Amino acid sequence: MQTNIPQTSAVMTALLRADFTTLWRNRRSLRLVLLVPLVIVISWKGLVKTMGGPYVIAGGITIGLISIGLLGYTNSIARDRDKGVFQRLRVGPVAAWTIMCSRILVQIATIMVMTIAIFAVGSAVDKITLSPMGYLMGFLAAILGGALYLSLGQLIVGLIKNPETVNSTTRLVYFIFIMVGMLGNFGVLGEAVKEAVQWSPYGVVNRVIGTALQPATWNMQATYAMLATIGYTIVFAAAGIRFFKWN
Amino acid sequence: MSNQQRAILEVDQLSVSYGSFQAVKGVSFAVQPGEIFGLLGPNGAGKTSTLSAIEGLVRPNGGQITVAGFSILEQPLYAKANMGVQLQSTSFQAELNVSEIIRLFSGIYGKELSPAEVEEKLVEINLQESATKRYGQLSGGQQQRVSLVISTIHDPQLVLLDEPTTGLDPQSRRQLWDRIEGIKAKGHAVLLTTHSMEEAEAVCDRIAIIDHGRVIAIDTPEALIAAHRNDPDVISVSRKGKITLEDVFIGLTGRAVRS
Repeated sequence: MQTNIPQTSAVMTALLRADFTTLWRNRRSLRLVLLVPLVIVISWKGLVKTMGGPYVIAGGITIGLISIGLLGYTNSIARDRDKGVFQRLRVGPVAAWTIMCSRILVQIATIMVMTIAIFAVGSAVDKITLSPMGYLMGFLAAILGGALYLSLGQLIVGLIKNPETVNSTTRLVYFIFIMVGMLGNFGVLGEAVKEAVQWSPYGVVNRVIGTALQPATWNMQATYAMLATIGYTIVFAAAGIRFFKWN
Repeated sequence: MSNQQRAILEVDQLSVSYGSFQAVKGVSFAVQPGEIFGLLGPNGAGKTSTLSAIEGLVRPNGGQITVAGFSILEQPLYAKANMGVQLQSTSFQAELNVSEIIRLFSGIYGKELSPAEVEEKLVEINLQESATKRYGQLSGGQQQRVSLVISTIHDPQLVLLDEPTTGLDPQSRRQLWDRIEGIKAKGHAVLLTTHSMEEAEAVCDRIAIIDHGRVIAIDTPEALIAAHRNDPDVISVSRKGKITLEDVFIGLTGRAVRS
């Protein structure tokens, strides 16, 4: 009996079109996700002289990545799983990876938009200018950092099934990451916390982005931070996929 | 060629377990092209687990399922390409409107539709006025129509309908029955689950009654009634002296209410 299964490209096109439409229709919550890092970049204008422009930009991008990974991706997955949206997709001739791949590509596009917005606001408001290579490397580092927070979101949605619990957990983790991350990085919480924060998911992403924005300063610490970022991503993603239930 | 070889769906010795609980215990049946086959059973009898295994949502721990000759375990995408599914509680992305949902699923099933073709589909289910409405804004009957059009968008050889008329008014139910018979008229097969004995009698060519994870009876509605007409358990539950399919069902599965 002759049976043709749909081409992966056709399936991905259909899924991406639907997922981008969903993102566009949710642009109010998208604006809120983008607003926080932009406010950080604007309010940290005073730090440009003392800490440097890359520090401010890296801080804004890191916080934006946490917002996208924890608040955007995780909650949309938890909600659609709870409503049976994935179940309906999975009874079609669709490989499970294409469903997730489409969702992740939409989040990566959001990360790109957020990064460009931060570069633009940093330049226009804080008068921060970087070299072309700095912008390019910063852009790539933002995607790498985004992968870490998306994988952390995957871990949360893998371990927790109830969408309300996912929502409250992501908000709690978001708050802890931002408060402990920012204050710890400033050294407000003591040297021990500062050291711990530097090797936490917040600290390593922040360092990778901050150093990537000025490629000439790349050093072994940045390399270790990049390896730690990749390591965290692999561990979180593996556990998140291992424990994830589609319905 | 035997009937078994020509079946569009073959379920052979299917077993499904959730931890230590065995929901389906060696269920076997086959659905032929052009046949409407009903799967009946009380709550928790194993209907949904059987259907979920056929749909590829649950991995069986024993037995075989083939759709149009493709094993759901070994060639799931090929098996799924030959079936359309209407789930019991279907949900689509809340932000998408009806047209966008139809376009999404036409792409997923490899039948990319132009805007004009989407419009045709909407006219077919009398929802052209609701093209820009979100799925959640539709009435129950309208949602079922959208769900059915999506399950048949690729003209599958097998359509699985899980309690398709639950919550519908009589008009919508009759309209859905007509659509189900339209699928049969094309020579395609339908497997449906229902709690309505009236529905089973009205539309099903054959039915299987499933209880405690096993098929306890399988035949045409008329043959089942005839075979159990003199069964004391069936007679004891009959009303007004006439044996109905519901009497046979309750006689075979018991009066106790299941959770």
